[in-house]
Amino acid sequence: MKLRFPKKALLLVSVILVIAFIVLAIYPTQTIDFNTQVKPILNKKCIACHGGVKQQAGFSVLFREEALQKTESGKYAIVPGKPGQSEMIKRITNTDPEERMPYKHEPLSGEEISILKKWIKQGAKWGKHWAYVPVEEPKVPNEKNSWIKNNIDQFVYSKLKKENIEPSVAADKATLLRRVSLDIAGLPADSIVGATYLNDVSENAYEKLTDALLASPAYGEKWTSLWMDLARYSDTKGYESDQPRKIWKYRDWLIKAFNSDKPYNDFLMEQIAGDLMPGADDDKYIATAFHRNSLNNDEGGTENEEFRTAAVMDRVNTTWTALMGTTFNCVQCHSHPYDPFKHEEYYKFMAYFNNTRDEDLPAEYPMLRHYAKEDSSKFIQLKDWLHTNSGNSAWYVSFLKTLQPAVNSHLCDNYTKGLLYQNNHASLDMDGTCRLPAITTTGKAHMLLRYLNNKGSATLFIYADSLKGQLLSKVALANTNSKWKVDMINLPPIAGTHDLWFRFETTMEKDELPLLFDWFAFAPAFSGTVDKNYAAAKNNFIELVMAEPETTPIMVENNSEQKRVTNIFDRGSWLSKGDEVQPDVPHIMNPLPANAPANRLGLAMWLTDKKNPLTARTMVNRLWEQLFGTGLAETLEDLGTQGVPPLHKELLDYLSWKFMHEYNWSVKKLLKEIVMSATYRQSSKTTDELIQKDPNNILLARMSRTRLTGEQMRDQALAVSNLLSKKMYGESVMPYQPEKIWASPYNPFQWKLSEGEDQYRRAVYTYWKRTAPYPSMINFDGGSREVCVVRRIRTNTPLQALNSLNDSAYLVLARQFAINMRKADPLVKKQIETGYQKMLYQPIAPAKLNVLLDLYEQTVTEYKKDKTAANALMGDKNKTALPEDAAMVVVANAMMNLDEWVNKN
Amino acid sequence: MTQQELHNWRLQHDAQNKYLQHHTRRHFLSQSAMGLGALALGSLLGCGTNKTTNSVTENFFDPINPLAPRPPMFPGKAKSVIYIHMAGAPSQLELFSYKPELAKLDGQDCPPSLLKGKKFAFIRGVPKMLGPQAAFRQHGQSGLWLSDNLPHLSTVVDDMAMLQAVTTDQFNHAPAQLLMHSGSARQGRPSLGSWVTYGLGTENKNLPGFVVLTSGGNNPDAGKSVWGSGFLPSVYQGVQCRGEGDPVLFIKDPDGMNRDIRKASIDAINKINQQQYEEYKDPEILSRIAQYEMAYKMQISVPEVMNINDEPAYIHEMYGTKPGEARFANNVLLARKLVEKGVRFVQLFDWGWDAHGDSPENAVDVGLINKCRTVDKPITALILDLKQRGLLDETLVIWGSEFGRTPMMENREGKTMPFKGRDHHGAAFSMWMAGGGIKGGTTYGETDEIGYDITNGKTEAFDIQATILHQLGFDHEKFTYQSQGRPFRLTDVGGKVIHDIVS
Repeated sequence: MKLRFPKKALLLVSVILVIAFIVLAIYPTQTIDFNTQVKPILNKKCIACHGGVKQQAGFSVLFREEALQKTESGKYAIVPGKPGQSEMIKRITNTDPEERMPYKHEPLSGEEISILKKWIKQGAKWGKHWAYVPVEEPKVPNEKNSWIKNNIDQFVYSKLKKENIEPSVAADKATLLRRVSLDIAGLPADSIVGATYLNDVSENAYEKLTDALLASPAYGEKWTSLWMDLARYSDTKGYESDQPRKIWKYRDWLIKAFNSDKPYNDFLMEQIAGDLMPGADDDKYIATAFHRNSLNNDEGGTENEEFRTAAVMDRVNTTWTALMGTTFNCVQCHSHPYDPFKHEEYYKFMAYFNNTRDEDLPAEYPMLRHYAKEDSSKFIQLKDWLHTNSGNSAWYVSFLKTLQPAVNSHLCDNYTKGLLYQNNHASLDMDGTCRLPAITTTGKAHMLLRYLNNKGSATLFIYADSLKGQLLSKVALANTNSKWKVDMINLPPIAGTHDLWFRFETTMEKDELPLLFDWFAFAPAFSGTVDKNYAAAKNNFIELVMAEPETTPIMVENNSEQKRVTNIFDRGSWLSKGDEVQPDVPHIMNPLPANAPANRLGLAMWLTDKKNPLTARTMVNRLWEQLFGTGLAETLEDLGTQGVPPLHKELLDYLSWKFMHEYNWSVKKLLKEIVMSATYRQSSKTTDELIQKDPNNILLARMSRTRLTGEQMRDQALAVSNLLSKKMYGESVMPYQPEKIWASPYNPFQWKLSEGEDQYRRAVYTYWKRTAPYPSMINFDGGSREVCVVRRIRTNTPLQALNSLNDSAYLVLARQFAINMRKADPLVKKQIETGYQKMLYQPIAPAKLNVLLDLYEQTVTEYKKDKTAANALMGDKNKTALPEDAAMVVVANAMMNLDEWVNKN
Repeated sequence: MTQQELHNWRLQHDAQNKYLQHHTRRHFLSQSAMGLGALALGSLLGCGTNKTTNSVTENFFDPINPLAPRPPMFPGKAKSVIYIHMAGAPSQLELFSYKPELAKLDGQDCPPSLLKGKKFAFIRGVPKMLGPQAAFRQHGQSGLWLSDNLPHLSTVVDDMAMLQAVTTDQFNHAPAQLLMHSGSARQGRPSLGSWVTYGLGTENKNLPGFVVLTSGGNNPDAGKSVWGSGFLPSVYQGVQCRGEGDPVLFIKDPDGMNRDIRKASIDAINKINQQQYEEYKDPEILSRIAQYEMAYKMQISVPEVMNINDEPAYIHEMYGTKPGEARFANNVLLARKLVEKGVRFVQLFDWGWDAHGDSPENAVDVGLINKCRTVDKPITALILDLKQRGLLDETLVIWGSEFGRTPMMENREGKTMPFKGRDHHGAAFSMWMAGGGIKGGTTYGETDEIGYDITNGKTEAFDIQATILHQLGFDHEKFTYQSQGRPFRLTDVGGKVIHDIVS
């Protein structure tokens, strides 16, 4: 009996299908939508063999112009308007398995075939995927329900209504307080802010809380943590010895930018092209460190150009993944397999980034120089003097800030008795010669030379064009005693572009350290010779150039003489160069703004143009993900056709539109709109029924519960134990870390426990070493930041449990928290109640309290028996401690591992 | 969203549900299991393409029990892997690559033909040739030539398959190590061990599935990236077990907290979390409870397995182990113990093989011999011990490095080095495999008479990776993971199984 029913059902389904086909056949006027109906079939069934990577039989369905071409067989796969003549339709309906497409795979369903037929009949029009269409203002639904607080809720409610699902009630005040504090400031609000809100019965109490959090300095620190993942921020350079890199001023720039609510378009423009913006000041230069966070390979014997190229490609990939939610890196080797980006478009885009001065040298030039103390006043005085006395003051001031434009000595060649020393410096032995190719000397009066020479009697001869050419200069080089020195060598007037040849004469034997060059710079006349202070000024200049101030790696563009050509790399290999390309953006995207120059500044203008379809959407989606745990489009890294399509696309567009057009790119305003919505304020309690209906909470009928990030975990533990330092900015700090985490070869740097309050700074200030990141950050799903971490995939592992249970960094905080609890009241019950209240802003449920009281009683008995253990738990075996204190530490340690504590409810 | 989009979305959703129901082992999740981790699964499935193919080719990441054992694509010979990597690159010319012709050229200028168009890490100008600094003789049934630097290993040559023509295009340590272990010379891809634990899970849930042991005083040059999980979920990254301090980070309870108290505290945490679950109904809470239970068990099982004190004296004698010391031999013995306990992948790195000739430690006729003494006995013992326990058949042992060394003597910055050393050489070097269905006593690949270039049997990192996966039951071309909108494989676009060495 049972067997019959399915058969009947099958028959019934078949009948319905047949009718459906007939109906569809009779009404062919229904327009097929490429993006939602055709593209999914092509992506799933065709594109693996007929796309960007492979074009079997000369057929590709990636671009319309390709798809309509004659295929290798001489036939046309698609003839617009004529499905009957289209080879594609013949092949997908063929019954011969050798002929039928998809080859050796399941045939297409009747429905899919029918869609493709109709689509060809209707002209085989291609459509743009939604994410590549500029954002337009969507119509806000007009739902009537008292739950709705703002337009976000309109979108959410209208979808819920269709599904017959009710939204959840608002979370209680305490839950909301903790949620919004962690979301906006990354920390629980302090007790004053918390109490003010909890006691405030006014209508707009929540709004006041939100405003206070957005205005708090902690806000910038929280959002900087997120951005550091995208910027692949690290305090080390990566690769073998993973040497330190001082780039923390960029982290501080981010904190300040977020706190001052720098409009997102400016925020991006300064990071991409701050150095090229009119009136670029130190801050704008520091912003460009964004793309100096790429790796630098110092390993002996590495090819600098290879790793310079790798860094440039990483900048391209990061720009697309982090800022535009697109997997552009696919296009390195071939046209994009699924999305409409062509192979050559990668390299056109790369051409924007291919002309910065950095060359993967260990010194990481170019650096912004931060003169301090006497150097700073010397710099200001010299600037004044140059402005008054030198016609070339602009060149000199800019040179003092960046030591650019300079030519790094590794570009020397044609060595005799010399070589490229450690793949880094040109070097000459006794009677050695080498060439520095193609230097434009027009208008240059001096050559600045940074060198190291350990030989007493040493002379450098400089010739133009060949060793027999014009002698430009003969200079005695000082014995610099293994230190670097800069000389300013006068050049005779000589116009044009010349190879410079160097010859080194010394009477000393070779087997000592050779003469090393670091860089050369060609300067216009220092001028101002008539002034009485000329000599002093020049001396000050040299001293400043030789000074070793704090520095930050930055972007500086090549000048016209240093311009690099960009080529297509065949299959992505930097060694097989194809055609030369000029800077341009992909054709599918918005055109370049009319006034955009062909450099990074133009690129930044294009990126932040309101017509750019991806920039605002990507950021809005990211902010949403930070608050809700999942983006509106879940794949933050891929808004393209292979990403998960957003259910709430209209909401994403609405917020993106508002972000650009109404809020003028204000992140704070956007965040406020989101957290003010009823959607955000919902309770995260749910039912089995709703979990079944919407397991991933895509419909948003409740608030998602999200495990805190490693940073939030540490910050809230610091805060609740009253140990959190409010100190902002400065060098990265080293809180407690187990021994022997750092073990890079050829690297003497050690993890050195910071002193005083620096042990208790927010996690955003913790020193980040790429090859050995801080363990608890990694355990809680942080990436190592070798490349941009676009999204942390949350996991739940025993190693996380061990981390928050046993890491001394956490135990210290539990200890302090326990001591604070013990001070609050003589009664243990009250102590635990106070502690829980402090952690979660609400009273502990009696059943939970009982569990903790039991734990306390059981533990205190143990510690009364074993006093040494109590002492040890309190941190010092030889110091008498109270068993009650130790037992409370055990309780605090348990409390700091509760689900409600490691999660955001 | 149009009707069609919604339809597609629901279809995808159903697929995810089915997926999880299929793979989730906990009954309470069989009906409604969707945790936070499931979101990750959703996304990974979401960007997939050919969802109808073999299930192993799909991303699957069961967030509740991500390391649960799973069957491979086809029955594999090997169940677990011990990969021994000598970081720094030992000289094949003093170990495995017998080149009598090179001895004749010792001290002569390197012919220009070998230098033209070539780039070296440190050699500049015209270096001198350097003859083999060790005596070689033949061993075993197979008659394999082996240097006297490896007297113990010579007794097990008939269990080994030699790869004499391994080659790489990377001649710097960090990128070359990354290529060997992650299939890419740049950082950011999952390592071999991550791929394997992702594909197979692990047999002992109270131990990490992928364990890393380092010796020689430093981490390998490429740092933790060589055991990183790249774009795979972080749960698949290697867990470093350490000779000093906690064997696994944070595995020890704080000083002054005994096991009973820890047990009581975890029980309390779990009781309260259970109450939290009743209130919130979030399945992720149940997962957290399970993780805390597992953490407690790991606290017992990890120190147990990491303790070699209780091994019998003959085992210590065999391996040359000394409990309490950080040494390679201890790690080798641990590798055997871990595999025996069901750990899927054990990765060993021993640092200090970079014999450039800049110091006695880095001389091919001094330091190299000393290094050999520290590894020869334990590695041999490992093969014999696995064999006597009947584990060699199902344990794949790989010995290798990131590249080899030049037949020329290094002349750093064009100068004579104080000791005999060789520069990095990617063009030709040696590796070997044993156990796990590898045909013992075989040799694959040949190099020219001075060991400069390969003449046949070219073997790239991808081929070795493909072979390892094959022995475990995976087709390296089909074993993929969706990331950034496309399927990635360990072997990128290369790799062929070396069938000549597979039994």
